[in-house]
Amino acid sequence: MSNVKYNETADGIRLLCVNTGKFKTNFISIDLFAPIGEDLPAQYVLCSLLAHTSRDYPTFKSFNSKVEGLYGASFDSGIGSYGDNVRLSFCLELPDDRFALYKDTPSEEAVDFLINILLNPLCKNGRFDEEAAKREIRFTLEDLEAKKNDKRAYALSRLKQLMCEGEKYGVDSEWLENGVRDVTSERLFEAYKNLLSTAQIAVTACGTLSQDMLCEKITAFANNIENRKPVKLTSEFVTGAGEIRYFSESMKMMNQAKLVIGFRSGMENDTDSYYAYRIMTDVFGGGPYSRLFTNVREKLSLCYYCGARLIRQKGIIFVQSGIEKKNYNKALDEILNQLAVMKNGEFTDEELESSKKALADAYCGVEDSPMGVCTYYASQCFADEIISGEEEAQAFSAVTREDVIKCAQKTAADSVYLLSGEENDE
Amino acid sequence: MNNIKEIKNEILNEKYYEIDHSSGLKIFVYPKENYSSCYAIFGTKYGSTDNCFKAGKNGEYITVPEGIAHFLEHKLFESEERGAFERYSETGASANAYTSFDKTCYLFSCTGNFSASLEILLDFVTSPYFTPETVSKEQGIIGQEIKMTNDEPSWASLFTLLKAMYKTHPVSIDIAGTVQSISEITADLLYECYNAFYNLNNMALAVAGNVTVEEVLAVADKILKPSEEKQIERKFENEPKEVVSRYAEKHLDVSRPLFAIGYKEDVGNTRRTLKQTLESEIMLDIIAGKTSALYEKMMESGLVNTTFYSEYFEGLGYGAHIFSGESENPEEVRRRIDEEILRLQSEGIDRREFERIKKKHYGKFIMGFDDVDAVANFLINDYFNGDASFDGLAVLESITVEDINRRLNEAIDVNNSSMSVIKAE
Repeated sequence: MSNVKYNETADGIRLLCVNTGKFKTNFISIDLFAPIGEDLPAQYVLCSLLAHTSRDYPTFKSFNSKVEGLYGASFDSGIGSYGDNVRLSFCLELPDDRFALYKDTPSEEAVDFLINILLNPLCKNGRFDEEAAKREIRFTLEDLEAKKNDKRAYALSRLKQLMCEGEKYGVDSEWLENGVRDVTSERLFEAYKNLLSTAQIAVTACGTLSQDMLCEKITAFANNIENRKPVKLTSEFVTGAGEIRYFSESMKMMNQAKLVIGFRSGMENDTDSYYAYRIMTDVFGGGPYSRLFTNVREKLSLCYYCGARLIRQKGIIFVQSGIEKKNYNKALDEILNQLAVMKNGEFTDEELESSKKALADAYCGVEDSPMGVCTYYASQCFADEIISGEEEAQAFSAVTREDVIKCAQKTAADSVYLLSGEENDE
Repeated sequence: MNNIKEIKNEILNEKYYEIDHSSGLKIFVYPKENYSSCYAIFGTKYGSTDNCFKAGKNGEYITVPEGIAHFLEHKLFESEERGAFERYSETGASANAYTSFDKTCYLFSCTGNFSASLEILLDFVTSPYFTPETVSKEQGIIGQEIKMTNDEPSWASLFTLLKAMYKTHPVSIDIAGTVQSISEITADLLYECYNAFYNLNNMALAVAGNVTVEEVLAVADKILKPSEEKQIERKFENEPKEVVSRYAEKHLDVSRPLFAIGYKEDVGNTRRTLKQTLESEIMLDIIAGKTSALYEKMMESGLVNTTFYSEYFEGLGYGAHIFSGESENPEEVRRRIDEEILRLQSEGIDRREFERIKKKHYGKFIMGFDDVDAVANFLINDYFNGDASFDGLAVLESITVEDINRRLNEAIDVNNSSMSVIKAE
């Protein structure tokens, strides 16, 4: 296991540093987490704006030239949900300083650049640059509207919204798009100030970056934020489901129908029997050894993909498949039937072992890429105890058949969603 | 007798081994210190464009249904007794496969039980088993895969563009074929393709990660039987230099039009060298990369958005510089790109711009050697392309601004381009 160190540099700011010389790359990410609320549309715009310009690099050309000048660094940003919270991520990956051609220290420069993106954005007198704000609103809107181009992802987001209506997690896409349209440069600045002041912040670094240097810079970063009052993150876990709710929508010109089913797992928080739920979800619809792959795809030839995924921060399981619309009932019945198989313990010991082996094997390898290391450890940024991939692998291996059956028995289908082409209507 | 050669690179401080295995297979082993995982990829130089071929001295050319290489990839996972996935489930490895225009590869990654997983990989790929029943079952599954990709606008945009650019070259055919073409596939045809292309002399194995040469050879020696070298001749009809049409469109339910603009390069029946490919990548960054004036203007004026990107697309008998993205006015994007290319062709490229972008590519090259899956994929791709994986660094170093100016004039003709647009009705 790598040398993993972490410390709270300030209230609500955790620095996690994995020192290793085995990579040719240094990777650093800053993640900001805040409860989903009224600021969400502005936060979407903000994420785009902060990733394109800053006070020191006010144009695309100057900003991107700075990034590329760090020996071809890859800069990435993103926004998404983390349970009932929003997560904004900014990360940089660049070659280790030992490959620098001019005795420069690009990695330290990269850390400063990333911090400055957050601390010194393109704004003055309490508002963001008007033109920049307008442009970023356009990018954000176009990006949100383009989500319907990817039918698989779109179907999943529609189910999330319908199933989790009333929960922060079930963000209404129309509300979000309208909110983005209404964002002003002042409103953006207000949201920016709120975010820096209230967010839980995780800084994760992997490579040869010195922890002392990082600690010093992150502490200075924290001291530069005005009125810092980090808000504790929570997520609502809905256990149990009533009658299954069915939803159906159509789109023009769509060849394949998308079926998505949302299940409430019964998890009461993100650590509640997590390893057992993860194994249960995997036996049900994980790898090619799973019940869904071997039955819905291989035996019945109903689809190319059919898989299940556990959302740990909400205790929800999503099953997704692409099917012929005429096979809707057949596919749905078989998916629900396979969950019944899980509840009745009618899966084999081999299936259980396959799943445990596959997950244990995958977790033992999480430290073999800089991004893998940062992604893995950033997901634990609020955990009381940091555990390695190998320790997680052992936890998966310890799950028993009884644990899995218990989890399956608590799992209940909540909502079923079908997206299909208008021309395929029968 | 296996012939083993060590290949080193001083800048990266890394090495790998190239082995001529006694079976006829080329093997690459790239040990990575302090890594837990291994990634192995076993591939054949056989892809979706190999639709008309002759194998062996006395054979005749045969034409096979579109999508058969990809179909074969799916079917190899099955055997008379236990399928590959079932066998892998005992070792914990994560397995997959893919088919591209010019190759089919089978792969797995793992942290434990490496030898057992490698044995499964080498065994199932060299043990075909096809029956009319299993072929028929797969038609349903792949039919759904085809329908899924038909709904993907970026995929549709690329293939609409390729059809507008290429008249005879099979690169314009969808890798998975069509629901109609795969219905013509039979077990006998699968065996015919398998016997032609899945010859160890036409294949390669690359392994990277926590592994030694001895571990790989112990399994290869056990499983692989010597394979008689077979001459494979691929037949492509002569592709005209000119594009088929300047514009093509297709309707899908998209939020705003997607475009792809391709400048067709006359490559004859060859493929571009590593140097030409790197020159093209640098050139595309200079024309419309994220630090170019053109990119900035198009972004600021609202003509394109963050989806805009460019790529050099090349293989045996085809080459094109492609610009893609979303825009309400694709014609204007095309006009501006044409204009910028003409300006650069006449004024030449700024030397400082070139040096900065070259430095960027140096860094990207270095960063490519951290992931075991990227390393193994480089090794197999470069071998099939006739290159050695560390050569890129020296080749990049040798490129001058004059090379880029020359390539810009030789490889791009603004009067020989196509544009595809995907939009809602």
